[in-house]
Amino acid sequence: MIDVNKLCKDYIIKRKGAGLSGALKGLVSRNTDTIHAVKDLSFHIDEGEIVGFIGPNGAGKSTTIKMMSGILTPTSGSVLIDGEDITKHRKEVVRNIGVVFGQRTQLNWDLRLGETFELLKHIYRIPQNDFDNTLNVMDDILGIKELIDKPVRQMSLGQRVKGDLVASMLHSPKVLFLDEPTIGLDVSAKYSLRKFIKEINEVRKTTIVLTTHDLGDIRELCERLIIINHGTMIEDGNLKEITDRIAPYKTLVAEFYDEKAPTHDRCELISREGNVARYRFNKSDITAADIISDLSSIKPLKDVSIEEAGIDDIIKIAYGR
Amino acid sequence: MKKYLYILKTQIIKSMTYEFNVYGNIIMQTIIMITSAYFWRALYTGRSVVDGVDVGSMQTYIIISSALSVLLITNVERRIGSSVEKGSVATDMMKPISLFGMFLAEDIGNIIALIFQNMIPILIIGTLMIKPPLMADVRDLPLFIISVIESFLINWLIAALFGMMAFTAINNNALIQVKKHLIRLLSGSIIPIWFFPDSISGVLTALPFVYIYQLPLSIYIGRGERADILMQMGIQFIWLIVLSALFFFAESRITRKVMVQGG
Repeated sequence: MIDVNKLCKDYIIKRKGAGLSGALKGLVSRNTDTIHAVKDLSFHIDEGEIVGFIGPNGAGKSTTIKMMSGILTPTSGSVLIDGEDITKHRKEVVRNIGVVFGQRTQLNWDLRLGETFELLKHIYRIPQNDFDNTLNVMDDILGIKELIDKPVRQMSLGQRVKGDLVASMLHSPKVLFLDEPTIGLDVSAKYSLRKFIKEINEVRKTTIVLTTHDLGDIRELCERLIIINHGTMIEDGNLKEITDRIAPYKTLVAEFYDEKAPTHDRCELISREGNVARYRFNKSDITAADIISDLSSIKPLKDVSIEEAGIDDIIKIAYGR
Repeated sequence: MKKYLYILKTQIIKSMTYEFNVYGNIIMQTIIMITSAYFWRALYTGRSVVDGVDVGSMQTYIIISSALSVLLITNVERRIGSSVEKGSVATDMMKPISLFGMFLAEDIGNIIALIFQNMIPILIIGTLMIKPPLMADVRDLPLFIISVIESFLINWLIAALFGMMAFTAINNNALIQVKKHLIRLLSGSIIPIWFFPDSISGVLTALPFVYIYQLPLSIYIGRGERADILMQMGIQFIWLIVLSALFFFAESRITRKVMVQGG
């Protein structure tokens, strides 16, 4: 569905010195720096996938999303959406895509939400039947109809993002790009957003590319992760497979009756707080059951629990490289 | 085409939202109109005709100039500037639509709203406080309408070309101001260029600006021979072609340079 081929984007920025003298020099001289925001990125996304596109701030995520959605022209390389090159046929290809930017809106501040939807209906030439159907489906999931007569400038962030999501789905795109959709939302708004994303993926087979810093989004939505840093790809694969590869350990949390937690030679004691000790072990070396039985043979155990390696661990390791 | 008409309609709704701007512009235009009318009355003291125009025609010129200025309000240059600055150009570009087609539709929608909110009040105020601005020869009406449409397009194309600079230069506010005052001064909107020294007015007739205001206004007050007017309309048409060519050339390459800021 999406083919990204050797995608590069360079930004040329003016170099300005610090302070007043720098500002004055900047008026006459033209020193420029080239920044390689995205370097030689290639990947393929199939129909119906939900892909988490993650990386630290400034990694080039948004730049890549913008190139994939036809907003920025790549310096070199190509993006094919459903086999068509987006830079060459922008107006045709954008019919197949929807974009939501969590930090900006495509809704019109001066209009009621419904008026923006009507405008989009005409811009995308959506037949009235399809338009009504989509709106009904969206109403079931997000309860959008109660917002339809509200001016956008009076909406809360959560309502606005809901409106943006519906606006991006009105023309039933095959691909939906979500750039930090849950940023700044409260727990329940995040929950309904994730539910929405899952449903349209299941029901409409919409391919979804999602950038986010929210670990919950990744955990609940993404089967596949593409991790980039400094404009290059550092990981691409199944969430579980990446976890097994970069962080193949679990943590056993054991509570004893006193503060002297024993050590174990096949796992690492990583912390001790009061009566609670944490052991990190590699899944392929030993099972949790073995550790528990070994530990309890040394000292009586009060309570145990097991923590999976968190996505935050993976991300920390991956970003740190 | 239908989608652009719908954008136009939506823009009319949007333009009706802010009433304060409307009154501000009426007040400003009224002040300019009344002061220039008195200015011309003072200058004409003791003389009935200067350069083939009497004081009554000059006052009509001023009233119609104020009314015409409403039709020549463009938003495209600021629209591009602010959407590049805020980064909302992204949401414009992800729609299956021609960017400049949308900007033109928005500007026309805005003007349609302004005809009711601004132009009609200005004409009424002018009629009551100065004189009824009647056309010298109603048979020239078709010529007047054609020249107004062309002057709208010339003015819009110049604005769009200035606006395009925002795609690369990022902040085009200063340029917009320069353009605005150039048009004000050089188009004869306040002082017709026939009052300028020959050398200057000779240069100005070669530039596109006088064909924005002065040509339609001259037709309206019936100044100049018909042959001369037709020749000027020819030059106006040539400028329209030249600017259109420039516009389409620039448009085809400018969207590649779009910078999306932030986020």
